[in-house]
Amino acid sequence: MASNHLTGVGSESKQLATWYFTFAAIIFGAQLVFGVVAAIQYVMPGFLFEIVDFSVARMIHINALVVWMVFAMFGAVYWLLPDETGIETVGIKIGKLLFWVFAAAIVVVVLVYLLVQVGPATESTIWLIHEGREYIEAPRWADFGIVVVALGFVFNLFATGMKGKQTGIITVLMADMLAFAGLYLAGMFFTDNISVDQFWWWWVIHLWVEATWEVYVGSLAAYGLITMIGAHRKTVEMWLWIEVAMLFGSGILGLGHHYFWIGTPEYWWEIGALFSALEPLPLVAMFIHVLYDWGKTQGAETEKGNPASVIKNKPAFTWFVLNAFGNFLGAGIWGFFHTLPQVNLYTHGTQFTSAHGHLAFFGAYATILIGMMYLAVQGTNGIKVLKSTKSSLAATWMITGGVMGMGIALTIAGYVQVLVSRAQMGATWAGYFDGQSGMWFSQAMDWRLFMGVITLIGFVFLAKDLLSIGKATHHER
Amino acid sequence: MFEPFVDVVPSFFGWLNQGPLTLTIFLHTVIILPMFWIYKQEKARIEREG
Amino acid sequence: MAKRSVWSDNRFWQRSAAWVTGFASILLIWLTFDTSAQISMGTDADLQNGVTKRVPAPTVINYKITYEMDTTRGHEVPVIGEKEMFFGRDDWSEEEAAELLHLGKLGSQAKNCMNCHTLLGNGAYYAPDLTKAWLDPAWGPEGSLQSMTGKNTKEEAMAEFLQHPSQYPTHARMMPDLGITADEAQGLVAFLKHMSSIDTNGFPRNFGKIKGAVHGK
Repeated sequence: MASNHLTGVGSESKQLATWYFTFAAIIFGAQLVFGVVAAIQYVMPGFLFEIVDFSVARMIHINALVVWMVFAMFGAVYWLLPDETGIETVGIKIGKLLFWVFAAAIVVVVLVYLLVQVGPATESTIWLIHEGREYIEAPRWADFGIVVVALGFVFNLFATGMKGKQTGIITVLMADMLAFAGLYLAGMFFTDNISVDQFWWWWVIHLWVEATWEVYVGSLAAYGLITMIGAHRKTVEMWLWIEVAMLFGSGILGLGHHYFWIGTPEYWWEIGALFSALEPLPLVAMFIHVLYDWGKTQGAETEKGNPASVIKNKPAFTWFVLNAFGNFLGAGIWGFFHTLPQVNLYTHGTQFTSAHGHLAFFGAYATILIGMMYLAVQGTNGIKVLKSTKSSLAATWMITGGVMGMGIALTIAGYVQVLVSRAQMGATWAGYFDGQSGMWFSQAMDWRLFMGVITLIGFVFLAKDLLSIGKATHHER
Repeated sequence: MFEPFVDVVPSFFGWLNQGPLTLTIFLHTVIILPMFWIYKQEKARIEREG
Repeated sequence: MAKRSVWSDNRFWQRSAAWVTGFASILLIWLTFDTSAQISMGTDADLQNGVTKRVPAPTVINYKITYEMDTTRGHEVPVIGEKEMFFGRDDWSEEEAAELLHLGKLGSQAKNCMNCHTLLGNGAYYAPDLTKAWLDPAWGPEGSLQSMTGKNTKEEAMAEFLQHPSQYPTHARMMPDLGITADEAQGLVAFLKHMSSIDTNGFPRNFGKIKGAVHGK
């Protein structure tokens, strides 16, 4: 089945994957547009005031983020399933039906966010409009839809994995995606006790992005190394198991770093600090692993007298390497910055978190999922070696540079908040606005907006490239 | 080294948290130690398989 | 031929990964039971008998709350003091207070507070943190926010602001009118007062304590 690696022709699973990728890319665009709206509001507070308020723009910004990533993650699994298991995905008809259910539900949810925005303080608002809980705002009716879709997806994965060849990558994905889907249930209830509310809310958010999603990325990187540069499966899968041990070993109890200040007991200081301090280690390992395998494979080929590049898909591999480094930088370094309680006491709830959020979501997830989209373009067009175009390069530079610039600007803004609003002024209403009015803060917000626009322009190049690169003539077919 | 116990509610984990690092060193040890046993088993298996 | 090392053996790492993941998960579940018991809401009897709970009963709205340095714990903690009027009463029953808090918590989600403000430090960073907003001196008797609304008590001033936020701009960045009714505003203020009584291990540090640091405040 190895010959099928780079071609998606004739596979229904891969066709479904392209649907998922397409919808994901559209939502990605929406995420950036509403991000820019929110960024403008920091600079010009009157912009769309009481029309599309910051809360609405921001809700769509972060919800679109979660949704496009989940779509692209599902798509990537449907893409790699036939390659890994050697068979067509079991239950693909259900998978296709659920795609339309999922996509339709998301469109309705977003329209309601945008047109209804807020409701009265009743249960029906939570059921029909939104739940008002950061990242998992989706109303309860949509929660149930998401659970059904996720169960269908997990069924496809398990049925295919058990019927076909169950590689190490598939084994990890099966366990990981089951946990990923199951964890969503922890965010589906209402309580008057905000400490209990946030306790379980973090079960979903943290155990997704700092545990199950990271392991998912490890599996994707393993698949990418095998398909794109022909790395040895045994080596890659050994690394994958080490990464699983390190990621879950640090990430599961690393959850404690969200339990410092929400009413939870004192012992979380120590558990959260020390386990999460280890979270960057597997990210360093993943970065080294990608570069090591690349160098090793290239070296072996050169030794045999083939000095040509081993990379079968230039833009995808670029995004995979950016992922390896961005994950370490955004999630690892920026996360470690403020993970110790002594530091977090002052940085918690400032733009510091926002800087980390931008760099980590981009570095750890956006990059590799964009890479998977390029792999799908290569496969559906039956291209042997896919080479970059001017647009691929423009997109890579502008998106990466833009997000990096936003991250740095937000970090500077975070410093102002920590020093002025928190340390100096004791976090009151007046202290908050003293920090916001500072020159460093407002200039940082100008830069953030500028860099956000750069990112958006980069996205336009990316969209154009994904639509047109398959037709370019300079690839090896 | 050992500090007075000042947690609002006493608990097993609070009790383990007696001073800098005590709780986390304990938990890390409990997690790592069984890996020695896994190592020994796998070593024996590899030798058996020759 | 040299013997194959266990360190480069996939099965060893696979079993290690399974062990580490499984054990960390079990520990987390155990910790969750322990924490859940500690953060469950207290009862009215706890308040009357002076039993300290990390999250007190809703009837905490009948009491005065302050944020004071605890020298043994090394940080500030909320202290529940003598009785205090809340919307003209200090005898909110358990049912009434619970109902008010329920309305307020629902309101905080329905009005999407968290996508501008932070609650317990979590949320968006476009507006001030609300964790201890009830204790903010600006809402107190001599505070600028209270005098701005022309009301005589903290709770009435906050409720007035919540209902007509764009009439009382405190910054170029204003809170939008979210259609908050008088009842909902009362619930939201109860929710804020209750939140300020939660023991957050000293977050935020030095809240409302600093005078004379900047601009001679």
